[in-house]
Amino acid sequence: MTMLKNDPLLQALFWSVMTIAFYAFGKELHHRRPCFWTSPLVVAPLLLILAALSLHVTYGQYISGTHWLVGMLAPATVAFAIPIYEERVLISYHWPLLIMGVLVGSVISMLSSWGLADLLGLSRSLRLSLLPRSVTTPFAMIISGDIGGVPQLTAVFVLITGVLGVTIGEVLLSVLPLQSALARGVLLGMGAHAVGTAKGHQIDKEVGAIAGLVMVLVGLLNVLAAPLLGHLLAAIQKQ
Amino acid sequence: MTIQHSKIILRRFCRSSRMLQIVLILGFWLAGEGIVQVIGLPIPGAVAGLFIVLALLISKRLSLRTVRLGARWFLAEMLLFFVPAVLAILNHPEFLGLLGLKILTVIVGSTLTVMVITSAVIDLWFRWAVSRREYDNAQK
Repeated sequence: MTMLKNDPLLQALFWSVMTIAFYAFGKELHHRRPCFWTSPLVVAPLLLILAALSLHVTYGQYISGTHWLVGMLAPATVAFAIPIYEERVLISYHWPLLIMGVLVGSVISMLSSWGLADLLGLSRSLRLSLLPRSVTTPFAMIISGDIGGVPQLTAVFVLITGVLGVTIGEVLLSVLPLQSALARGVLLGMGAHAVGTAKGHQIDKEVGAIAGLVMVLVGLLNVLAAPLLGHLLAAIQKQ
Repeated sequence: MTIQHSKIILRRFCRSSRMLQIVLILGFWLAGEGIVQVIGLPIPGAVAGLFIVLALLISKRLSLRTVRLGARWFLAEMLLFFVPAVLAILNHPEFLGLLGLKILTVIVGSTLTVMVITSAVIDLWFRWAVSRREYDNAQK
């Protein structure tokens, strides 16, 4: 174990293998008993936290060996071009609806996050870090920095939103009388970003493609609006 | 002649090899990062990469079969890439108490609101559009 702690390369290898192994275990478990608690996004982090605590490894030590895995989110974003292209006919037919959904969703997401956080008396930096949580990670971290939040905190909130959002989304999909694949895709992509999109692809190719497109559109819209929003929030604060 | 030949072999190889397609997608990502850096665009490099691939697919310069297997792999295993980020919670033991509960309330409440309102708006508009189309057809 001391050798493991002293050699950064060996440590990186160890934690990368552990992360992938726990993820694979979680995936297999979820395949056999599909429910919220067996999601690989719940099982793998829990096991990793237990391992890190028992080995006295800090987050800094852990992430320095595994940040390359988080970095893979970027090429995964590029890969969204393919399902979007495959559903181009559906998308070109319904683009006004999609744009409207993204606008409505973004505004409601920000307002409800801010309002609820204000109601519960959360600090200003926490409130700002919570604002971009329905936007997928790489975008959300940029936005958080732009409007004065803490990007690292935002990353955690985005993740919690994804995991809980998928569960909430699944319940809503079975309760709400939604007729169109469009509305189902927007619900998952808007509410639970990348995790919702992954779920969407499991439900139906159309739902997944729409969720993916919505996720990208939400990210783009918010990144472009972030500097404006930052000024606005600063102005409100001064009054 | 030989160049043409090797091109065909390479293309055939790329269409069947997932590994090669993954490398290709990584290449598009790096190209996106490069372009964003050079021009100074305010968007993540990955999004620029997404638009490059989309533009190439639409203009038929890139065939779907050359990237589809690799893209499916990335999308199927995407949850893995989120896992290490969750451990950031180790740095925030203060979230384990009441504060964490408040944050959870905000996230759950807001997510629920967004999902219900957005999907309702879309679905109502969709139904309205469909019924109007049926009405138009009936008029004809």
